[in-house]
Amino acid sequence: MKGDGGIQLVINTRGSYLKKKNNCFLVKNDDKVFEVSEKKVESILITTSATITTDAIKFAVENNIDIVFLDKFGDPYGRVWHSKLGSTTYIRRRQLEISDEPEGFKLAKGWVIQKVENQVQLLKDLKKNRPEQKEELEAYISDIEDLKTQLEELEGTLEGKRNSIMGLEGMASRHYFEALNFLMPDDWKFNGRSRNPAQDGFNCLLNYGYGVLYSKVEKACIIAGLDPYVGFNHTDNYNKKSLVFDLIEMYRVYADRTVFNLFSRKQVKESFFDEIPKGMTLNREGKAVLITAVNETFEKSITYYGRNIKIGNIIQFDCHRIANNLIKK
Amino acid sequence: MNKKANQKKKANQKKANPEELKLLVWVIYDITENRPRQKVSDCCKSYGLYRVQKSVFLGDLNANERDSLAVECEELVDTDRDSVYVFPMDEQSFKKVQLIGQAFDKELVSDEVITKFF
Repeated sequence: MKGDGGIQLVINTRGSYLKKKNNCFLVKNDDKVFEVSEKKVESILITTSATITTDAIKFAVENNIDIVFLDKFGDPYGRVWHSKLGSTTYIRRRQLEISDEPEGFKLAKGWVIQKVENQVQLLKDLKKNRPEQKEELEAYISDIEDLKTQLEELEGTLEGKRNSIMGLEGMASRHYFEALNFLMPDDWKFNGRSRNPAQDGFNCLLNYGYGVLYSKVEKACIIAGLDPYVGFNHTDNYNKKSLVFDLIEMYRVYADRTVFNLFSRKQVKESFFDEIPKGMTLNREGKAVLITAVNETFEKSITYYGRNIKIGNIIQFDCHRIANNLIKK
Repeated sequence: MNKKANQKKKANQKKANPEELKLLVWVIYDITENRPRQKVSDCCKSYGLYRVQKSVFLGDLNANERDSLAVECEELVDTDRDSVYVFPMDEQSFKKVQLIGQAFDKELVSDEVITKFF
């Protein structure tokens, strides 16, 4: 992983061309050119149709800069990254072993509890500045906290309790999004979660934000030596990166908070969205606003086990902790 | 936090990165031949400096990078005829810089940009 402080280069203009020139990346389209040293770039995000040379890909791989491709919903559909394992295979072996032991259950349950705690925390933060909606919010919060208590009381192994965990998590999320919808400005109220395609502006931004987050979680897993495909709460038979789905739950709140703030600060415009059959997508203007806001959130500092780190680095720290705990005797 | 811990923290910060301390650096040159001039400008770009005028580059560099950039440039040019200046500048002074006419992106050169759209 590159040290922090680099630029995220986002290729967001259709038809842009990315190549390597000397020790720089050079991006150009019909009327603009931008040249930037490899030293300054942390990652490259491609959100639209573009052309890249294999030289540029090789240059990025050699310098540990990952290239992520996002589809129109924000879901990463691929990435270019060197083909080495991030760490020892022993971590992956332990990951498989532990998944049906009580220890694995504890770990996986912990992630869901963390997610629910984050949801409660966001609602509590929102409550502070909204004295008029205080009572309704408290009702939502106490509903979610009840579910959290039920989660904490679960014991056993994943085999037997997976459905209970997922069920409680789902219920907590329903209350949580109802609460967020309750606080949304009138013009932007939404009707539950929707994806592929989103039915409203809120879901549109949120899905895209989750996509960006997903790609960060996947990268952190690879670097820490965790196998993205071996999940705990999400079973393997999805043929999906189940561990990424498991872990992303703890970080969704950062996308939620970012998106919610964009709405409450009136920074979202109708012009961010394009109508598509059966729903809507985020266009170039909307992507730029969202990705900027998400990156700003990641730059903020937070206390993590007694030290100050950037929110954006939590994911990597957590993954390393998980990996270290797996191989610890 | 108590006073002692604070002092310790400060000391650590100081000790941790004398070389990591980045300063804004202006690189200004006057080079007669095309080839070495091209090479110097490529060199500046590869150090992550941004071109702000034809023979003026600007960007954040730490002490090591400043030194090795100077050494590389020295090897490229004819020191009897050409000149390359490497001027470090502190943040306070950079804030007072006045830009008239075609201005460069101040935030970009001082590494405040975290997302660059293209």
